[in-house]
Amino acid sequence: MNSSVQNERLVGPDEVILVTGASGFIGTRVVQRLLDMGFRNIRCMVRPSSEGKLKKALGPDADRVSIFRGNLLSREDCQALAKDAVSVIHLAAGRGEKSYPDAFMNTAITTRNLLDACVTHSVCRRFVNISSFAVYANGSKSTGRLLDETCPLETHPDARGEAYCFAKTKQEQVVAEYRDRHGLSVITLRPGVVYGPGNLAISGRVGIDTFGVFLHLGGSNQIPLTYVENCAEAIALSAIRPIEGSEEFNVVDDDLPSSRQFLRRYKKQVKRFRSLYLPKPASFAFCYLWERYSSWSHGQLPSAFNRNRWNSLWRKTEYSNAKLKQRLGWHPLVSTEEGLRRYFAACRGEKIHA
Amino acid sequence: MLKIALVGCGKIADAHAWQIERISGCRIVAACDREPMMAMQFCERFNVPAQYTDVQTMLREAAPDVIHITTPPESHYPLAVQCLEAGRHVYVEKPFTLHYHETQRLIELAMERGLKITAGHDDQFSHVARRMRKLISSGYLGDHPVHMESNYCYELSNTGYSGAMLGDKNHWVRRLPGKLLHNIISHGIARIAEHLTSDNPTVIAQGLISPFLKNLGESEIIDELRVIVSEESGRTAYFTFSSQMRPGLHSFSIYGNKNGLALDQDQETLMKLRGKRHKSYAEKFVPPVSLARQGISNLRTNVGLFLKNDFHMKAGMHYLIGSFYRAIEANEPVPIPYEEILRTARIMESIFDQLRAQAELRSAHIQEPAHA
Repeated sequence: MNSSVQNERLVGPDEVILVTGASGFIGTRVVQRLLDMGFRNIRCMVRPSSEGKLKKALGPDADRVSIFRGNLLSREDCQALAKDAVSVIHLAAGRGEKSYPDAFMNTAITTRNLLDACVTHSVCRRFVNISSFAVYANGSKSTGRLLDETCPLETHPDARGEAYCFAKTKQEQVVAEYRDRHGLSVITLRPGVVYGPGNLAISGRVGIDTFGVFLHLGGSNQIPLTYVENCAEAIALSAIRPIEGSEEFNVVDDDLPSSRQFLRRYKKQVKRFRSLYLPKPASFAFCYLWERYSSWSHGQLPSAFNRNRWNSLWRKTEYSNAKLKQRLGWHPLVSTEEGLRRYFAACRGEKIHA
Repeated sequence: MLKIALVGCGKIADAHAWQIERISGCRIVAACDREPMMAMQFCERFNVPAQYTDVQTMLREAAPDVIHITTPPESHYPLAVQCLEAGRHVYVEKPFTLHYHETQRLIELAMERGLKITAGHDDQFSHVARRMRKLISSGYLGDHPVHMESNYCYELSNTGYSGAMLGDKNHWVRRLPGKLLHNIISHGIARIAEHLTSDNPTVIAQGLISPFLKNLGESEIIDELRVIVSEESGRTAYFTFSSQMRPGLHSFSIYGNKNGLALDQDQETLMKLRGKRHKSYAEKFVPPVSLARQGISNLRTNVGLFLKNDFHMKAGMHYLIGSFYRAIEANEPVPIPYEEILRTARIMESIFDQLRAQAELRSAHIQEPAHA
């Protein structure tokens, strides 16, 4: 991308950019990044209970944004929210924990309501939908080990045993329907593992501690990390860059560590704990047997482990951010080395100075 | 083949569908939700052939034999009336209705029409609850129950359902007469109601807002409740709801004039509490051994049930639904006697009336000007 395109903007500094989920882990960084870029009319949608989190995160900059307290399940709230918004960053989603209906309602239905409002107002030039790597099937892709934007999406997301995967896949279908029917310009971002101070859990792609001991399942796999500030940069650029039509982008950083490297550094720099490495054939067999038992027993054990999930999380996979760099002109603001340093420091309870 | 339909495609509808799928001789023919996308996602995941957004259309076109009402509680009564008036049997999720008179009317309507109705008090049909009932029927407690203690806790947090409810001043839970309690305490109250005999027991309730909620700025939701229930026959009960005590118990103890029983719903254990004391120091040494043996016996039972593939998380719901369907097909008595459903509704209404009066009193005190 040449420098003149890099400087072009779809949105004027005083036009409304709407950010849903603005008080969340990623949302607060997106709002800060947009402020840093010089945008002066940022509308932040928050749940009433989380307004304080946004104000705390923005500090004195909180006075430079307008805060909209509402609920995306309310069509009326969505209509008011989307009024005059020329660019919409839709971050809010429900994880639903283990409930498919809850995750679906707070992800797909809220998205439908917001899209309806955007279509009604007819001023939205860009709708940025924040999706997830969870939507990729990763079982039978034609790109070998490489997972890129051309790879197939889950066709049976309900079989993954993850409400979040189901909800996010359905959300993408809703967005695609509105894009096709109403000609909306949509950018779908699929971040990998967004990490940083504020999200300190070890990704399930590295391993799980469900059974009392930490099972290391990632092995030599790359972990598709993206430091929260880097992810926020990709989101902010998606909202303002003039790109023809609609696009999908995966968001991962450069120089990704392997699961083994990550775990070794975590143990060295944060805390020591026992872990047991499960080789790929063993973890696949475990998932396969669990899936069979779950099906045979009509869910006496829920289908939490299955082949689809193994393919998604633990199959040997490589990642690329080439399209993101090429089409959006994105580059990581924080190197993986620095990102990990800050992350481990936050895990140790240290206050982080960026 | 019984034709089943669900109205309301939220979280609890999933639990119903999983259990219905495990019962032979029935199939889900339709699902209905005011939000078409919710009906769509449910039908897609459970292979249900017909989805609706209007109950009357569903009743007419899909002609189900039994309707499960799994909507938020506000709509239980009007929906159940529609289904009964259309000649369908009805399974209503807990809480059965918002008011006692609505419970009364639904049961009357079902009886007038020769239909069956039941409440989703499925915890009373878990394996361990059924073992307890069998022991009580065998006379283990003695002549009659003397006292009961029912604990039903709910751990509040800033995430999930409770997070949504705490963060949204318009959340449907806040519109219920008993707010959070209304949606949760039915199971614990129904356990007591089962062993009472009076239609109108005396209820004394005290509600509090926990420091945890006060710190979040909450002023409406009561999350600590203590209740004393008594009746003229001399039977008494304590009920405790807490969002703060740990462990967050779901337990029920019942004491007769001979022995007692203690049930733990979470661990699926039932302990016999021997009424007769041992002599001298034997009382210090023998009962612990007996309790340890009972613990092992409970473990053996639970493992056995798991190996027999009969230990699903919602085993109680599976049993209740299956029993309800059998009652319909064989025209036998319903698994939960109507007087028990009525008594549960009566106790709950009395609790919420008292909590409302206490809230009004607190509010009046706050508004009263301070005297110099």
